[in-house]
Amino acid sequence: MSAKVDNKHTFAILTDTTKCTGCEACVHACKQTYGLERDRAWRWKQNVDDLSSTRFTTITTRPGSHHVRRQCRHCLEPACVSACLVGALQKTPEGPVIYDEKRCMGCRYCMMACPYGIPRYKWESAVPVVRKCIMCHDRIKEGKQPACTEACPYGATIFGTREEMLTEAHRRIEAEPDKYYPHGSPKIYGEHDVGGTSVLYISDVNLDFLGWKPELGDEPVPALTWGALRKVPPVALGVAALMSGVYWMIGRRMHLQELQEDVEQVPGDGTSNASES
Amino acid sequence: MLNKCQVMALQMPRRVDVHTNSPNLALERVKNVLWAVMGVWAVVTVARFANGLGATSALTDAVPWGFWIAFDVMAGVALAAGGFVIAAAVYIFGLNRYHQFTRPAILTALLGYLAVAVGLLYDLGLPWHIWHPMIMPQHHSVLFEVAMCVMLYLTVLSLEFSPAILEHPLFHRPFFQKLLHVIKKVTIPLVIAGIMLSCLHQSSLGSLFLIQPFRLHPLWYSPIMWILYLVSAIGLGLMMVTLESLLSAWLFGHPVRTDLLAGLGKMASFVLSVYVLLRVGDLWYRDKLLQALDGSWLAGLFLFEILFSAVVPATLLAFPRVRHSIAGLATCSTMVVLGIIGYRFDTCIIAFARPKDMPYFPTWIELAVSAGVVAGAVLVFIFFNENLRIIDHGETTAPSEYDAAKAKRAPYTFTPAMRRHSLCFVVAAAAAIGLLPREAIYGPEPRPTPVAHSRQVEALAIDREPPLRRAFHLSSMSGSVPASADADPVVVTMIDGNRNWRFVAFTHDAHAQALGGRESCRICHHQNMTFDQNTACYQCHRDMYEITDTFDHLLHVEKLGENGSCAVCHRTEDRAKSRESSLACWQCHGDMVVEGSMIQSTEAGLTGFAPGYMDAMHGLCIRCHENLSETQPEVYGTEFGRCDVCHREFKDTDHRRLAPYVPMPPGHVMLSNAEKTATQGSE
Repeated sequence: MSAKVDNKHTFAILTDTTKCTGCEACVHACKQTYGLERDRAWRWKQNVDDLSSTRFTTITTRPGSHHVRRQCRHCLEPACVSACLVGALQKTPEGPVIYDEKRCMGCRYCMMACPYGIPRYKWESAVPVVRKCIMCHDRIKEGKQPACTEACPYGATIFGTREEMLTEAHRRIEAEPDKYYPHGSPKIYGEHDVGGTSVLYISDVNLDFLGWKPELGDEPVPALTWGALRKVPPVALGVAALMSGVYWMIGRRMHLQELQEDVEQVPGDGTSNASES
Repeated sequence: MLNKCQVMALQMPRRVDVHTNSPNLALERVKNVLWAVMGVWAVVTVARFANGLGATSALTDAVPWGFWIAFDVMAGVALAAGGFVIAAAVYIFGLNRYHQFTRPAILTALLGYLAVAVGLLYDLGLPWHIWHPMIMPQHHSVLFEVAMCVMLYLTVLSLEFSPAILEHPLFHRPFFQKLLHVIKKVTIPLVIAGIMLSCLHQSSLGSLFLIQPFRLHPLWYSPIMWILYLVSAIGLGLMMVTLESLLSAWLFGHPVRTDLLAGLGKMASFVLSVYVLLRVGDLWYRDKLLQALDGSWLAGLFLFEILFSAVVPATLLAFPRVRHSIAGLATCSTMVVLGIIGYRFDTCIIAFARPKDMPYFPTWIELAVSAGVVAGAVLVFIFFNENLRIIDHGETTAPSEYDAAKAKRAPYTFTPAMRRHSLCFVVAAAAAIGLLPREAIYGPEPRPTPVAHSRQVEALAIDREPPLRRAFHLSSMSGSVPASADADPVVVTMIDGNRNWRFVAFTHDAHAQALGGRESCRICHHQNMTFDQNTACYQCHRDMYEITDTFDHLLHVEKLGENGSCAVCHRTEDRAKSRESSLACWQCHGDMVVEGSMIQSTEAGLTGFAPGYMDAMHGLCIRCHENLSETQPEVYGTEFGRCDVCHREFKDTDHRRLAPYVPMPPGHVMLSNAEKTATQGSE
């Protein structure tokens, strides 16, 4: 799980919210690429423009006309991948976290686990599947870039190796440290958060709202459960050994007690049942 | 080894006693209620699997785990903990005086886990993939461990319980008796395996939440959640066995063995005290204890939960007088059972963060599914109690010889009790069908998103190169507009049908001018409301996303003269009276159609359906923009069809300044206003 990140060979998306005008060309390109149905106002959507099973990426407008493109963060150590009990979600070496609906059993633990609240479910369907951005894995393998970054008319969201993207992000924030948030010493969102993500942001507004909590920390999320889960084999053997030991000890003590009682009161017949039960 | 009396079989099934000799009224009433619940359950089952989760549950993307997981799985597994606790006490720790509780406890556990499995089938999106963990293991997932343990433990429980079934006269054949002998030989390994598997998955259910420290409230989230889950499950298991023997004593009329139950109460008191100490100690150790006193409602819930589920009952049970009285035992066990179920609900749903505007309350269908699963389990429990020897009454019966003739099933007859049960089932099912919400029958339907009218605002426009051509400064008419810029004051139409602040600034006048002045209206305005000449887009395209039916049948019937008037529109006698076979709107309302429009939905297509506002706007604008980028690229640029030509950033949009521009009630109240706007715009 905790492999060293090979930034040179894994791909990433860098979104610079200062360049985004909120035109939604990325959303349109994504919907075209995956043939997604038009958005509808279902009960489970409080906002039709939010991420949904028909919208893998979307633009969220923050107060003051700041447009932030939301999509799957493609964490380097994804919580969803570690949560999935059938391996329907996989982190590919190229960077994308992809989903295989043939394996999925629909438990929705990935949706519970994601620190950014990304996976969406096709609730309206009687045969529902999980839907989320897969960073155009097929296009990346063909040597193309994802549909969204290709479509952006302003270069607000760009694609490249993670190393290139980090270099570019550092170049931008060092050139204009007062333009980016936190002003003075800007942060690259996703550089270290939850162990690093393959979708990076630099922004002129606080992007903490993207996660479930303002501070997600730099620790990879899967480590939290792995700490408990790794104890399973020793605990299993320990419990089994302990129970066998207790059974043997108590059985022997009762046996000895009986023998003693037999010796003490030879003609007793009231104790003979005890050994049976 | 097992008690000698357990080897012996029952001579006569108890059911005969119940129905013929001494009808047990309480039991019969309970059964009627249970069968009624099963009737409702049958109906909601069909609805759930036919129309999916969205139509029948209140689950959302923000609350992917709801009542089914919290109750059927989390609470269900915990309630079934009595099986391994009692088995451990009796078989491993040699506390033989509790032997009479083993079978009921193991049966409860078996039925509990079956209920968990069945309940899970409802919750899983693709329940026919439930076997996937076995062939596609992903061992980094806690849920994988839970799934495997539950599967294995179900097998162990079936084997542990199988002697009770094999003792029945029906199985008095050499093969089954040999099988029984073998199973009894491996009782101890089975019990040890059961304890091991139980410890693992009871604790792992707590580990499931370790992955979400960001959403679970700090009073519930803890690195030792898995220990808390295990210890609380043991306490709950003991109390569940107590409550269950009190209940079955009431139902079947056995004497209550308070002396034995007091022993269980004492154990539970100890276990629950350990649970409280661990939980509070962990919070204290991690400096979170003071959060319990911060006055928030979740802090209050935490205090109530821990007092109700553990502190109060553990204290009460510490007094011998309380734990030796039926009332005391009943009170304490009920508190613990409800309280620890509450603990599971809190971690799973209530203390699990979600957006404020996405509250979760289960639908009655969710509740009915869970109630049905429980009712089914209880009915099986009662059936086994009537036909097998589950509860040891102390009397020993002589083992009966196998009699092939007797074992053959008597011809089936409907007893009055069966008739009552069937009646309850059918009546309840009928009532449930009547109560089913529309969506559960016809499948989920999208909610309406009424379109609000557009609004005209003043702005400053600065020329830009194609394809954008102009930039708009909406509210700050001075200040942030660059002094060097040559800014034109213009009036733009803010198009924001669903009032989400993501609007398009539409320069109506500039468009009219470019398309040819007053004569150009008809190019876009393709249709009017009846008796109107200035119909705005939103008046027909009334929903943001969904198709609107603009034809009012009721109004037409009323105006044309009630029942006698059908033939006014439905003129073809040989065809069914439908929209297709009747007159088209324009045949009476000639003023609806605007001649020479770009939009083709005029005469032939005029059947009274208007596409969603967004589709209509996109359909109208994009086609023209794309054409222009091809035919006149030197004026408009080659990318004039790009999204951001219309959807763009608006400089200095000041929400407060535009305060009147807030969501308004949709519909025709604003008609006069809109008419004014439309007239202004066209001039």
